Amino acid sequence: MSDLWARVEPLLAAVERPARYIDSEFGAVHRTDAAYRVALLYPDTYELGMANQAIAILYDRLNGLEGVAAERAYVPWKDMGDAMRAAGVPLFTLESVTAVSSCDLFGITMPYELTCTNICEALDLAGIAVRAEDRAEGDPIVIGGGPCAFNPEPVADFFDAILVGEGEDAIVEIVEAHRAAKAAGLDRAAVLTSLAAVPGVYVPALYEPADGTVAARPREGSGAPAEVVKRVVADLGSHRAPVCPVVPFMDVIHDRANVEVLRGCTRGCRFCQAGMIYRPVRERTSDDIVRDALEQLRCTGQEELSLTSLSTTDHSEISDVLRRLSAALRGRAVTVSLPSLRLDSFGVDMARLVSEGSRGGLTFAPEAGTQRLRDVINKNITEENLLGTVRVAFGEGWRRLKLYFMIGLPTETDDDVRGIGELVSRVLAIAREVTPPAERGGIRIAVSVSTFVPKAHTPFQWEGQLTLAEVQDRQRLLRETMPRKGVDLHWHDSEISFLEGTLARGGRGLSRVIERVWRAGGGFDAWTEVFALSRWTGAFEAEGIDPVGLASAARAVDAPLPWDHISSGVSKAYLAVERSRALKGVVTPDCSFGDCTACGVCPSLGVDVVLAGESRG
Amino acid sequence: MADTAFRLRVTYGKTGRLRFLSHLEVARACERTIRRAGLEYAVTQGFNKRMKLAFGPALPVGTAGTAEVYDVWLKRFVAPDEVLDILRATTPAGLTPVRAHYVGEREASVAAAMTLADYEVVIGHPDRGPGRLAEALGDVVSSGALEIEHKGARKVYDLAVCLPEGARVREEDGRSVVSLTVRMGAQGSLRPDALVREALLRADMSEQPMSVTRTGLRPEEARA
Ligand code: SF4
Repeated sequence: MSDLWARVEPLLAAVERPARYIDSEFGAVHRTDAAYRVALLYPDTYELGMANQAIAILYDRLNGLEGVAAERAYVPWKDMGDAMRAAGVPLFTLESVTAVSSCDLFGITMPYELTCTNICEALDLAGIAVRAEDRAEGDPIVIGGGPCAFNPEPVADFFDAILVGEGEDAIVEIVEAHRAAKAAGLDRAAVLTSLAAVPGVYVPALYEPADGTVAARPREGSGAPAEVVKRVVADLGSHRAPVCPVVPFMDVIHDRANVEVLRGCTRGCRFCQAGMIYRPVRERTSDDIVRDALEQLRCTGQEELSLTSLSTTDHSEISDVLRRLSAALRGRAVTVSLPSLRLDSFGVDMARLVSEGSRGGLTFAPEAGTQRLRDVINKNITEENLLGTVRVAFGEGWRRLKLYFMIGLPTETDDDVRGIGELVSRVLAIAREVTPPAERGGIRIAVSVSTFVPKAHTPFQWEGQLTLAEVQDRQRLLRETMPRKGVDLHWHDSEISFLEGTLARGGRGLSRVIERVWRAGGGFDAWTEVFALSRWTGAFEAEGIDPVGLASAARAVDAPLPWDHISSGVSKAYLAVERSRALKGVVTPDCSFGDCTACGVCPSLGVDVVLAGESRG
Repeated sequence: MADTAFRLRVTYGKTGRLRFLSHLEVARACERTIRRAGLEYAVTQGFNKRMKLAFGPALPVGTAGTAEVYDVWLKRFVAPDEVLDILRATTPAGLTPVRAHYVGEREASVAAAMTLADYEVVIGHPDRGPGRLAEALGDVVSSGALEIEHKGARKVYDLAVCLPEGARVREEDGRSVVSLTVRMGAQGSLRPDALVREALLRADMSEQPMSVTRTGLRPEEARA
């Protein structure tokens, strides 16, 4: 283990934002004496990766283990990557400035599909073979995790192991199993076999991948489980939120104290992968939330606190939490933020509680422009909910609103697309009506429209995605029917959404495509200014894979899917039922507000919905 | 608020790896240090409430400082030595505070008062010796003006104004150390490394890695 700083330092004078590479932040953990070392990589730049809470949790958890050091690594921006290659400096961990390749375990989180080329880049810069099968005995075990683990096939060839589900407990078991295997002197293949015995760990090399007619299955005699079932923490109260996470110097995204208030969301939006894979809902108690929030603020000195989750204002005791926090933080110039609001007057009440009199922007996600389509996707809000909320919010002085919509949802027609513009017009009309004339010029509605991408483990996993030409047509229609004055319309890059669709539901063969794109200079594909679809179409062609078919063809409900061997606990039968209810426009209620709707998670994983208070509502 | 607040002037370093921080990054880090320290700070009035904090002139990314300054307004009087101890415990190494004292509310801001900045530029092994470098620097200074191109824009510095005390060169551990004082004014402040680079160029000496440190900030009247 040798400190590379003397070789890194001379490179920093000539690169953008050197603060990405210098470590030394308050809260960074330096455990130079640890015998077992883990590198945790976020496959993008420092300023994006520092916002990732999963890494922060695992960093905290691993550094709390006897004899273990966890250190951070990020993908250097292209200027630094080039400089490192030219100078022969390998990918290093920030804390000890040592080569990632000298670690025992190399953990890579997979937050979204388009970071896949950066995984290749990180491995190669580290001097580790990109494909798991080419790795040597002395190389670290490369393990993946995060949302993309639920369809791991497109990147499966790059990983020795992949953890499916929540990592708090699993990471400890993985480290223990690996340490024991090393102590017993096992070779790499035997180490992997022992890791496959840890529940939730998928070792791709031990499986025959799906081939379109049969699902993936364990190789003869491998001993690997037929189905890898996600890990889930039954009670979030058994782990504290990190008390003193690293405090960045750089202006990173979501630069604030983050305390998770609940995990999971069972509102049941049918397009939403997070809503399916993080079930069931588990709330933390208000005492725990307030305690962890105040301690984290004290320890980090952050000036903003975010209460994070998929649906924070659904927490059964959220108003109590917010009241206690605002009392404790009065006069300290600390702002409290809620990631997105429930679309009703309660949401506005909560926004008021944290606003301390200032009226920033409010964010809501109606997702579709007509009631018919909102019923199809199970977005259980009505136009009255939205308009009523707008009336209250603008009446109370809010002037800025952000609305999220999607185009390309299953069954969408031109009327639904026009419906988005019409709905925004009605929102604007009400906002103007309740705003004093002199202030009407300040009304701003930001409308952000993404393209629907069907995701694995959702009721829409069998649906086709719009082709690029269809997306362009609907975007044109959207533009034509959207009011201009007071509205800022943004939409996602349709080519990026198209590629995301191929990767989200692709199989093992995509590893070759990804590797090809990376070898041709790809990387940072999630960055619009860097992304080039042409690099991808060439690689698909060379590998004989039709990306349009992959993204846009509907799949038969009884056909095997590349991710059938990965279980989120939600049964495939439930997803199929939800799909047919969607097509009939029948909604399904939220089980955390009422009765169980039999998705299967609780009985199959031995967990239950955990509410902090008596009930939600 | 202002009449009940105590204006504390803290002198700190920006050293080691942290010289790669930008001014904004340093400012944010100092603010968080104060919050972590649990000091009761005053808050600005108005829409966006912020800690009341004022920084001295910015240091560029890559330039170190050993005597940088900010003012913070505290709601309660705490003995300066005590503040220093608390702050040191909550500051990342490299931004360590070295001095603290209270200043009167009516005194000018650090940025307005401190118009002179002392610098040291260390150059590893100038290939034609420190004597030649000193000569070349002298030539540049006596030429009276320096034209610098930065991000496509040209800027001419009047050296009689910008460089009131000239530049001196000494040798230390086989390296040359240039010390100079820059006067900061409306036209911005001359970058010491640009001046040294120009001297190297004129003396036909090759580019060398340089490290720049601001060693002091002072008001004009205090000139010796
Ligand atoms: S099993 Fe029932 S209670 Fe549990 S998450 Fe699924 S629908 Fe909700």
